[in-house]
Amino acid sequence: MKPVRVVADVSQLPDVTFGPRSTTWWGTIGFMVTEGLTLVICAFAYLYLRKNFYHYPPEGTPLPSLGVPLVQVLVMLISIVPMVYAGRYARRLDVDGTRAALLIALVIKLGILVLRWYEFPALNTRWNSDAYGSAAWIVMGFHTTLLILDVAEDAGFALILWTGHARAQTMSDVVDDVIYWYFTVAAWLPLFVLLFLYPRWT
Amino acid sequence: MSAAPLPDSAPLTPLSADPDAMAELERTWRSSHTGLWGWLTTTDNKRIAKRYIITAFMMFLLGGIDAAMMRLQLSRPENHILGPDLYNQFFSTHGTTMMFLFAVPMMTAMGLYFVPLMVGSREVAFPRLNAFGYYTYLIGCVFLYVEFLMNTGIDVGWFAYVPLAGPQFSAGKRADVWAQTVTFTEIAGIIAAIQIIVTAFKQRAPGMSLDRIPLFVWSMVVVSVMIIFAMPWVAVGSQFLAMDRAIDTHLFNPAEGGDAILWQHLFWFFGHPEVYIIFIPGLGMISSIVTTFARRQIFGYAAMVLSLVATGVLAFGLWVHHMFATPLPQLGESFFTAASVTIAIPSGVQIFCWIATMWTGRVRLATPMLFVLGFFIVFIIGGLTGVMVASVPFDLQVHDTYFVVAHFHYVLLGGAVFPLFGAFYYWFPKVTGRMLSETLGKWQFWLFLIGVNVTFFPMHILGLQGMTRRIYTYLAATGWGTLNLVASIGAIVIASSVIVFLVNVVASLRSGAIAGNNPWDSDTLEWATTSPPGPCSFPDIPVVTSRDGLWERRDDVPVMTGLRTDRREVLVTTLHEAEPESRHMLPSDSIWPLLLALAVGGAFIGAVYTPIGLVIGTIVALPIALGWAWPKAPTGPEMVDDVR
Amino acid sequence: MQLQIPPAWAGHESVFRPSSEPAHAVFGLFTFMVIVSVIVYVVVIVATFTAVRRSRDSEATPLTQERERSSHRAVTAATAATVLILFAYLLYDFGVGRAVAAPRDAANALHIDVVGHQWWWEVQYQDTAPQRLLATANEIHVPIHRPVLLDLSSNDVIHSFWIPNLNGKKDLIPGHHNDAWFEVDTAGVYRGQCAEFCGLEHAKMAIVIVAQTPEQYSAWYNAQLQPPQPPTDSLRLAGQKVFLSAPCVMCHAIGGTPAGATMGPDLTHVGSRMTLAAGVLPNTPSNLESWIADPQRIKPGANMPATYLSRADLRAVTAYLEGLK
Repeated sequence: MKPVRVVADVSQLPDVTFGPRSTTWWGTIGFMVTEGLTLVICAFAYLYLRKNFYHYPPEGTPLPSLGVPLVQVLVMLISIVPMVYAGRYARRLDVDGTRAALLIALVIKLGILVLRWYEFPALNTRWNSDAYGSAAWIVMGFHTTLLILDVAEDAGFALILWTGHARAQTMSDVVDDVIYWYFTVAAWLPLFVLLFLYPRWT
Repeated sequence: MSAAPLPDSAPLTPLSADPDAMAELERTWRSSHTGLWGWLTTTDNKRIAKRYIITAFMMFLLGGIDAAMMRLQLSRPENHILGPDLYNQFFSTHGTTMMFLFAVPMMTAMGLYFVPLMVGSREVAFPRLNAFGYYTYLIGCVFLYVEFLMNTGIDVGWFAYVPLAGPQFSAGKRADVWAQTVTFTEIAGIIAAIQIIVTAFKQRAPGMSLDRIPLFVWSMVVVSVMIIFAMPWVAVGSQFLAMDRAIDTHLFNPAEGGDAILWQHLFWFFGHPEVYIIFIPGLGMISSIVTTFARRQIFGYAAMVLSLVATGVLAFGLWVHHMFATPLPQLGESFFTAASVTIAIPSGVQIFCWIATMWTGRVRLATPMLFVLGFFIVFIIGGLTGVMVASVPFDLQVHDTYFVVAHFHYVLLGGAVFPLFGAFYYWFPKVTGRMLSETLGKWQFWLFLIGVNVTFFPMHILGLQGMTRRIYTYLAATGWGTLNLVASIGAIVIASSVIVFLVNVVASLRSGAIAGNNPWDSDTLEWATTSPPGPCSFPDIPVVTSRDGLWERRDDVPVMTGLRTDRREVLVTTLHEAEPESRHMLPSDSIWPLLLALAVGGAFIGAVYTPIGLVIGTIVALPIALGWAWPKAPTGPEMVDDVR
Repeated sequence: MQLQIPPAWAGHESVFRPSSEPAHAVFGLFTFMVIVSVIVYVVVIVATFTAVRRSRDSEATPLTQERERSSHRAVTAATAATVLILFAYLLYDFGVGRAVAAPRDAANALHIDVVGHQWWWEVQYQDTAPQRLLATANEIHVPIHRPVLLDLSSNDVIHSFWIPNLNGKKDLIPGHHNDAWFEVDTAGVYRGQCAEFCGLEHAKMAIVIVAQTPEQYSAWYNAQLQPPQPPTDSLRLAGQKVFLSAPCVMCHAIGGTPAGATMGPDLTHVGSRMTLAAGVLPNTPSNLESWIADPQRIKPGANMPATYLSRADLRAVTAYLEGLK
């Protein structure tokens, strides 16, 4: 048996990290890739089925309305601001600042969910009308599940911060949550173009 | 901040030499509860992976029984053992079980057990998520077979083509059961994949740079990336199918602009990488076994890694070769022929490198090595018929016939199951502390080799004689009876080899030779710790100084120390050079993964019967997720104020 | 006239007996690939076992740069050989692919539409003259030495049309049209089964191709175009009455009678077919009786229900149908 020799002591290494140094960041990226791909697949189905129609939307179906969806895009972009602050405060381990920013973001996101409720009818078709309607509702529907899960996650963090249970690792997790929101908004932008602008261009 | 190098004047004691620290470490890592509660709350990746392996093996046995019933029915023309409805359920369940419930989970489970050990890490990156993944998978297995026993078993094949699986032609819940079974396995698969990637990239032992990672770990990383990019296609597709059936969407309904071929694209974009997901871990296992039993490192490490990556990437460019009989443009089809042929090249490179390794090594023919030779004998036949079916005109003759059944059983049995059994014999000592019997191992090997060939070789001929797939019977006048009988006899031989294996396992668990840390004198890090590894696999953090691992000529064993013993910690290292970067605290045992799996499982099972099931399940799951995420009081400075 | 069913289907349903233009080309490619595969396999296996045998007996020779370099050369050479062989495959394959893509003489082709149903084949011969359109089921007659172009589609689920001796299979997909072709060079009877899982009786959905000389084919075709002679004997007259008053008339058509439904196979000349129930039963009176009395016993799940007829009615309608030659 060869003798064991200690070559370094790791006890002074940090035990909370942010960003790519943190394993949970990597896990978050993994879920983002998975869910992003899910949205890509829905968009693929929407585009693939186009070839079975002379027009998108099919004759008899009006173009999707732009009013509510445009407001939604605007509100989503606005929601980025408090999330940026939440991320900054979290990196500084500032519980009060993070909590305030998250709460503002949460209110805006609840507004987004309400707007989403009215965005579905703005498609001017039903999920069971035809394949175009099914595909459009499905693209929006899958993205909506991301919205709902993110709002739930935010509410959870807000609760943890509110009740004073935050640990340093929690702040690292908040930063991951912020990145996830960026992804959720960024994923919506091309989907908005696909569902509401693309039918006007073709 | 990096690890503090030691001043020469104060050498530290390794943890393993400090009995009080070891005792505290043991207490910290051991399951904090006993009995059933302890069993349900453990997050130890080794225990979770063992459950995965056992469950997946049981699925292999059940899938084998499905196959035995099929072979029984087909052993004679116009047989009456199984009518069409029951036969259709058996072949659909056989395919779904083997592909979704056995092969991929088994391979990811081997990764979940051995990747952390091989990279010198104590745990996977997300232990509770790991447990959640396993419980989700288990619920999927139970769900499928309970439904089968309740006459709601799936009957549209493992591929569930529409419109047959759609609302108009598949009454009842059977196709919905298929769709949601897929969901369970997809969730578990993606979770396992994320674990493996993050563990392999961020938790390697210091000094294990990227070019020192064992080939098995590389194979599992490639497979994990493939899982993330492949499984969502079938998961989303199956939800589309479930929606077409439940809430009247029209994605696959040609009458409303939907498209039956859309399903095929969605399914096969997953389905082709899926078979490589099953096959590539086998390649990694072969590299581990050949290294050990030829007693040298695999020749051509860089070529081997590049071949694994190339195979994984190319696998995503082949899917249309399952669709050559559909009305697709010929030019497009030619691309897929070229790609399907090209993927043989990296596999060939690996085979040539293994032969070179054996040629210049000193081979010991223990049972694991026999199964490797079995891979060569069986897989290469499958690979050669694979290149044949890459040809469009030839494929149009043998597509959907028993020729293809022969082809894919040769590649899957040869490319995945032979290496898997070899890996079982190789790693059983590490997992259990005992050796499997070599005598029984040789018996199993020969029975399996003969059985596989007797069962599946005649099927090449049957396919060319016109026997199509998925038929519950055939006319005597076709002349297919003789070869079918031969194939069915071969199935009996396969079954007996599996029985020999089970006997070997049971007997060896009781009275097999004690293994010791490194019975095969192998080089990778899992052999540096005890057999079986303790709850904390590596009390001392191993340090890696070359690709040779334990074979490196040194007079001492370098380690690092400094992880806390009063809570579970793993070392996080950098991506490229594996320099120590931070310490990561892992959660202790928890019931939340099981509860969340039950909620999510309930949501998807409920969705089979009513769309509201999904909503209710989600509402139940959210507070459970909050419970999971709620921070628990750790020991020591951890409050935000303290850290700041 | 009713042709004789072959004593066994073996050989009439086989890739090993190519009897048409595309089938011959593909069989040539197949033979080439098998020969190359066998050679490659033997070489690799011999190399593997030689490697094992040599190294078992050898002493522990140190791994020198020289040995690693010669391994490097060997692996590179083997890889290069693999690439060359695969490239040869591709070239041959693309050549065959182009050759079998379409018949040379497409202008002279016979056009037939085949529509897949659960679990039978609807056959519609096309012709520029509407009075020469022919509808039949489950049995296709073709002349040899003339290309046959098939338009394939489905009314329900995906099926696949495949005659091993004659053509590579093509899928019949609802919402799509697909095409296949062959030009038979040897007269004879050929059989194929549906090659895409289509539900309960996928196993019992076969189709028979009868390749005849041009004269025989014309004679057959003209006979099929004629409505059948009205029955003269009392048994067949009674049988016709049974047919027209029983549920049969809800699904089946017989030319020259009021029966015109198209849900099930066209029965105008069913007596002239070799098989019943889509290639499953030889066409004999006793088989036809069994089939009509209880199709579920022969093809459980088939869309044809059992018809409750008295023994006399059953014999009469069987005699009537068998006389529809």
